[in-house]
Amino acid sequence: MATTVMTRKAPAPASAPARLRTLLIVLVTGCLAWGVVAGWTVSQHAAAASDVVGTSEPLSLDARQMYRSLSDADITATTAFLSGVAEPLATRQRYAADISGAAADLAALKAASAQPQAASLSAIAAGLPVYTDYVARAQTWNQAEYQSPGASFMQDASEEMHLVLLPAARSVYAQEGARLTASSAQATGLPWIIVVLVLAMAIGFLLLRTQRWVSRRTHRLVNYGLLGATVALVIGAVWLVAAYGVARADLSRGVGHGSAPAETLAQADISAAQARGDEVLNLISRSGDTSFEQDFAKVRHELGPGSGSLLSTAAASSSGEPGARWVAAAGRDARTWYGVNQHLYSLDLAANYAKETQLVVQSAPGSSAPEFSSLERDLGRAITADQAIFSDSATAGRDAFGGLDGGVIVVALLMAAGCAWGLSRRLAEYR
Amino acid sequence: MVTRASRVSRGLGAPPGTTTRGRLLLAAAAAVPLALAAGCASSPPARALSAAVTAARGGGFPLTPGPGRQTLSETGSTLLYPLFRTWAVAYHADHSQVTIPTGATGSGAGIAGASAGTVDIGASDAYLSSGSLVQNPRLLNIPLAISAQQVYYNLPSLSAGTHLKLDAQVLAEMYQGRITRWNDPAIANLNPQVRLPGTSVVPLHRSDSSGDTFLFTSYLSAKDTGWSNAYGYGTSVHWPSIAGRPGLGRKGNPAMVAGCHQRPGCIAYVGLSYAQQARGLGEAQLQNRAGNYELPSDASIPAAVAPFVSSTPPNETISMIDGPAAQGYPIVNYEYAVVSAKQPTAARARDLRAFLHWVITSGQSSRYLDDFGSGPLPPSIPGFQPLSASVVALSDAQIAEIH
Repeated sequence: MATTVMTRKAPAPASAPARLRTLLIVLVTGCLAWGVVAGWTVSQHAAAASDVVGTSEPLSLDARQMYRSLSDADITATTAFLSGVAEPLATRQRYAADISGAAADLAALKAASAQPQAASLSAIAAGLPVYTDYVARAQTWNQAEYQSPGASFMQDASEEMHLVLLPAARSVYAQEGARLTASSAQATGLPWIIVVLVLAMAIGFLLLRTQRWVSRRTHRLVNYGLLGATVALVIGAVWLVAAYGVARADLSRGVGHGSAPAETLAQADISAAQARGDEVLNLISRSGDTSFEQDFAKVRHELGPGSGSLLSTAAASSSGEPGARWVAAAGRDARTWYGVNQHLYSLDLAANYAKETQLVVQSAPGSSAPEFSSLERDLGRAITADQAIFSDSATAGRDAFGGLDGGVIVVALLMAAGCAWGLSRRLAEYR
Repeated sequence: MVTRASRVSRGLGAPPGTTTRGRLLLAAAAAVPLALAAGCASSPPARALSAAVTAARGGGFPLTPGPGRQTLSETGSTLLYPLFRTWAVAYHADHSQVTIPTGATGSGAGIAGASAGTVDIGASDAYLSSGSLVQNPRLLNIPLAISAQQVYYNLPSLSAGTHLKLDAQVLAEMYQGRITRWNDPAIANLNPQVRLPGTSVVPLHRSDSSGDTFLFTSYLSAKDTGWSNAYGYGTSVHWPSIAGRPGLGRKGNPAMVAGCHQRPGCIAYVGLSYAQQARGLGEAQLQNRAGNYELPSDASIPAAVAPFVSSTPPNETISMIDGPAAQGYPIVNYEYAVVSAKQPTAARARDLRAFLHWVITSGQSSRYLDDFGSGPLPPSIPGFQPLSASVVALSDAQIAEIH
């Protein structure tokens, strides 16, 4: 390339000063251009890594928390309704905390979310007051001891939750998860970093050729300006490769051992909460014959443990990590809970609602509520452990880019200065 | 506000409506006062609701069916069957291109048929269960008329015109086999003027899954904690077995009426539309929330429904059992058409909308509601009751969702 330029700019036989001047312009421009491209590329990767840590991960947590709050509000309200007229204060407080928590998460997500989530977030914003209004009406009727109208309003509330709010919240969570994965991929993506390295090699090649030509023409072994530029280029490229390699390794570990299993476990948590919600709603809504048993069988298959199930997938990714024991515990909890549920549906088929209600609502060991709570608690612990891995790795990955964008620009300036100094001194000898 | 009806057209998780239908629902929903306690006394904002209906009509609501031949099949509730058949015949007379075959197969079969798409309209005495909706979120339940449930008994020794007073506690005891004879002190206490026979109590119940069982056991559960805790309510319940009294189950309303005629001492809960067939059986007065004993009548049924009109939600899923009206009959309900919001063809959707709209407007005339089956009802027997204007508006808003 240099030869072509020199040939075009200075037709043979070119004078040495003219060729030196051309080389000086080409090298200084090339070094500065490389600095711009490298600086921009590094800033893109660093921004994506910061986005993973500072935006995508917190939003993904908000989305999961919103789903959990909504689902817990539903389970709390329906369980309290089934328990009788006098709702314990703790239950009311838990329901109120769930609703205000969901509203706060919704506000955070609305403030920061991109267009694809807007539809689902609007559906939640519109549906949440409808839901709470139905719950309030159900409670008012129930407290006045109008059990039957109360139950129909509780059914309306729960249907709003199961058919509008939870599917929308699930969709928001899935979209935030996809955004987190996209940010991680952007932070470790290859194309631009390869362009920067190829450019560095081209400039390095040009520097070596120029060095050789200059030493032949001037009979001096070393041009210190060009040598300095070459050394700066090598330092810059090595720094770039090392930082990028470390960030990529950290973020890959964060995704593989942190966010991916956490995502799988969160799906398991969502499926379990849905099945528990169905169990309770099945006791309130008795105006038809369709129970949720089919849905539960589907959830059981999805959730596992068992080949290809969510819990087994999570167990495989968490192997050797701190979350592994909680995943194993969740698998045991799930099996116990399925046993209770099996019993529940045999009572449901026999229309034995009294025993079924007891088994769903009461907190004695062996009932559905405590078994589900154990499952939820162990899933929560496993998710927290995986999220800690993700958070640490993603932060380390982001920090690997620290100072690099400024660094490559300084390197480029030093290279340009070295070329300019080294060649202008030779040029001065011709005057 | 996102209603079930609006979410059907937009899909789950979709944003609240920007469509004409969505706006119509919003208007109708907003017109329903939210405050429940106040709602018992407040009147519906009729102007807003009629505006919603006008909007629905203006937005392409068909008032007549299309010119092509159409068959709209119906099956389900045995209680609604006599009236639905009358509507079907009358509609065909006005619009000969539309044929409406009807069937009395029970509410459960009606819902299952509408959900599976094997029937266009499923008739049900009970609103949809959440299980049915989760399985098929496109289903709508649209009230077509108001009905009530009568409790009959077979005690030939009592003079005609005697109406025994019964409350939920006594009924629950009878159905649990704890009150075994009609001259039990618990029944005598409620009816001090009546000479009760010592006949054995024969409590008949529905053996099939039934909206009537849902209504009757809802009444027992609402008033009797013991029943609520032990048996609860549902389209089927785990009926207590009564020693020495096997075979108390009957399939369908006609079999309940026939069974009661055959068994002296019987007590049976039957939909109001079988009052003609049940003539000769005793009709019980049931105790309501205020402690008054009421027979179902053209006055006590609308009175019972009135407190719920303004709080009927946009999806019209509401139980009105044992409501607050002092002069209200305690077991009243909407009779529902269960239809899928998504129809296979635009022509079918249009004709369904036209027919259902006709049912909830022209079909509310007393010439249908009081004159089904074998002729006009005698004044002593109440017919189906018409829907109030605000409920018609909500139903129209749901009908507009069928596409």
